[in-house]
Amino acid sequence: MIQALFFLHLFLQRQAVAPQGAAPARVLLQSGIAAENRNDLDRALAEFRKAAELDPSSPEVLLRLGDAYMKKHDAAEAIAPLKRAAGLNPGSVPIQQLLGYALLAQGYAAEAIPHLETARDPGALGIAQLENDEPAKAMVNLQSALESDPDNPDLLFYVSRAATAAGSQSTDKLLAAFPSSARAHQTRGQGYHQMKMIPEAVKEYEQAIAIRPDLPGLHLELGEIYAGRTEWPKAEEQFRAETKSQPGSAEAAFRLGDALVQEGKMKEAAEELRRSDSLHPNMPETLYAMGRALAAADASAAEQALTSVLKIEQNTSLAAQADLLLASIHRKQGKSALASREMEDYRRIQGLRGQ
Amino acid sequence: MQSVVRKRGILLVLAALPVFAQLVTRAPQFQLTPLHGVDFVLRNSPTPRKYLIETMPGGVALLDYNNDGLLDVFLVNAGHVPDPLRSPVHFERDNPAYWNRLYRQNKDGTFTDVTVQAGLQHAGDTNYGMGVAVGDYDNDGFPDIYVTNFGKNILYHNNGDGTFTDVTAKAGVAAGGWSVSAGFFDYDNDGKLDLFVTRYLDWTPETSKTCGRIEEPMYCPPGEFGSTTNILYHNRGDGTFEDVSVSSGIAAKKGRGLGVAFADYDGDGFTDIFVANDAIEQFLFHNNGNGTFSEVALDSGAALNNSGKVPSGMGVAFQDYDNDGLPDLLITQLPHEPYVLFHNDGNKSFSAQELEAGFGALSETSSGWGVGLEDFDNDGWKDAFIVQGHVFDNVHSYDNSLRYRDVPLLALNNRGHFERGNVGPTRAVAGRGAAFGDLNNDGWIDAVTTSLGDGPQFYLNRGGKLHWLTITLRGMSSNRDGYGARVQVNGQVRFATAAGSYLSSSDKRLHFGLGDNSKAEIEIRWPSKIRQTLRDVPADQFLIIKEPERK
Repeated sequence: MIQALFFLHLFLQRQAVAPQGAAPARVLLQSGIAAENRNDLDRALAEFRKAAELDPSSPEVLLRLGDAYMKKHDAAEAIAPLKRAAGLNPGSVPIQQLLGYALLAQGYAAEAIPHLETARDPGALGIAQLENDEPAKAMVNLQSALESDPDNPDLLFYVSRAATAAGSQSTDKLLAAFPSSARAHQTRGQGYHQMKMIPEAVKEYEQAIAIRPDLPGLHLELGEIYAGRTEWPKAEEQFRAETKSQPGSAEAAFRLGDALVQEGKMKEAAEELRRSDSLHPNMPETLYAMGRALAAADASAAEQALTSVLKIEQNTSLAAQADLLLASIHRKQGKSALASREMEDYRRIQGLRGQ
Repeated sequence: MQSVVRKRGILLVLAALPVFAQLVTRAPQFQLTPLHGVDFVLRNSPTPRKYLIETMPGGVALLDYNNDGLLDVFLVNAGHVPDPLRSPVHFERDNPAYWNRLYRQNKDGTFTDVTVQAGLQHAGDTNYGMGVAVGDYDNDGFPDIYVTNFGKNILYHNNGDGTFTDVTAKAGVAAGGWSVSAGFFDYDNDGKLDLFVTRYLDWTPETSKTCGRIEEPMYCPPGEFGSTTNILYHNRGDGTFEDVSVSSGIAAKKGRGLGVAFADYDGDGFTDIFVANDAIEQFLFHNNGNGTFSEVALDSGAALNNSGKVPSGMGVAFQDYDNDGLPDLLITQLPHEPYVLFHNDGNKSFSAQELEAGFGALSETSSGWGVGLEDFDNDGWKDAFIVQGHVFDNVHSYDNSLRYRDVPLLALNNRGHFERGNVGPTRAVAGRGAAFGDLNNDGWIDAVTTSLGDGPQFYLNRGGKLHWLTITLRGMSSNRDGYGARVQVNGQVRFATAAGSYLSSSDKRLHFGLGDNSKAEIEIRWPSKIRQTLRDVPADQFLIIKEPERK
């Protein structure tokens, strides 16, 4: 409804109606237009209704009447005159467009589609297609509308919805056609995870892994579920399996390194985090985790990693954490001035972040 | 006393079960057992109003109130709101079901309820009970009891004849508001025990509210209520105390205090205070030695956890876990963040070492409350025992990875690295308080825990073959309990205190595991600064050490 009114607004800016017809009807039409210009919509509607009674074969009068109903947010009443108008003048873009809007506003998306196609209105057409469960087609039209109006929040919203719906449709197809495939189990696992149904999610991932243990991302996603529940030994096991099957994955190496940090296996963690950094250099999270892993055993290397974090991150929570850890390292080394400086930076960031 | 357990035949029954046989392969071997004569139930009496206080009780103290050499048990009860819809809210304590209870240990290991005989049945009819602190504040040789409440706290003076007298009004230590943990310590080394009281929130039943879904209301988190100050009472030595919270600097910081523990972390001879705060920075009050304290947690590295996050601090132990002679801090908190371990690095600073020490893999989805760093297996390294259970009774409805009832965590210390130990056959409870001590005087530390709506759990340590030494300090210039003394035995250090954990007070005797050593060398630095050394002390004994005269 809201989107239909939004497009109606655009439409009304564009339309130029030149009513013709019988003389009494023309007088009423002009009177109605004058009332409309005075924002007296009730009067305008009454005049257009009388004009339509006098000249029911005038597409222009019927269009004005339908338009007035739409302006009164009464799409249900607008549909009948607009349908008559479209029957009388099927090639009229304004009539097809307004009828499309009215039908869409009333939830008749499927019926609106041919009218909006005729009107060549990709934005409204995309919305109608989305409502009609045709997300792939909707994506094409909405993207097209977005090209000419790239900052339109409504269009951006619908593009996002269409993308989600298109994904969901593919998922449904996957689950229906290949219910026992690894990907189907993975997809169900993702869904359960989103719904925080963790035991069910874990079961699906385990089934997926049993079918295709080398499928990229499976162990990583299962490991992240365990990590989210701070079940670090299980998380480590999954991340380790992912790094084995995906030795080039910086993320898998980072996740494994972070899990090892959480388990206090600092030496092994540092090695894995260094490997992650070599695969994808200068990721601040990796560098920070490296700082944590090295803090006790190699203060100099930890300091280097944390200083690198601070070169990349400013005024973020990660930067504050890096300051805090650096302060701790400096304190341990008896460098109280350096520790104080890091604590000042920490407090400054916390102040900026309103904490 | 070791035979107490066997006498009941429970051990034999359990040992016959295959599962038990598998679980007893690692020391220490605990046996969860009811103690004959202890019939206490911690009645927190949850209401539909979801008063947050219902989630927090209750404390337990292990003390020898009659000096017969056997530990007695004092348990704090909570209370009951007869009509939650009536305002102002009235907490019923007159009903015996809601009394605090003192159980005297008999020579045969059974217990007798001596609450009425001791005059401890009056808990204050407007009070909702929380915790307990124990200390001989008047140095008469008999431990006194301080009970914290939502309401007015109560100081019971031990008359030395098996009875107690409520001396709160005279002593001036009623506090008010929502008191939680408390502890006796001597902050000015004048030989008289002072008193520190943590307070949690600026909360009343009238300002209470519920959170969560309408169909499934839950208790509100602490951030929904105002923070408040802690209280420090100075012992004048005439049976009265002075509230020095403001002049000492303690009241300069508002927090959400739950646990408190004492130790001299920087070796300057003055006892410092650590307050475990819930969901804000922790407080470390450095004792300036002139009657004032400075809160230095953040700049000392003892305010935030390893990730720079504020811990939901609940209970705390302030002892040396890695035998470097410096007291460290172990703080329990909510799930999904490891229990926090602040290692004392020297230089007046700490660093969060919970991950290096292994707690990352031990805490997981548990919420911790009472905590002790005690050498349960007598191997010379202090282990951790943590009582667990979530705050909210319906937490599972909100996060199905969490559970309200939980079993305790025993974390065995393997040269500074903690690994999960076997707490033995147990059951999940909504655990809260925990006190530690040698209940049956067998040389092996036992644990007593409390749980909401349930009886206390007694974890009797069945022991092993390693040596031990248990020391009772008798202060002369220093306070009689010797609280604040630094005692080193064969390189291990303990800071004398009964405080720490959560809401609870432990056996004041200092227990040391000696491993294979049959002799011990003891070095004591008394609060009076007198130093004392004893050499070639035979192991496996209870030793009373009297503070020497000043030379």
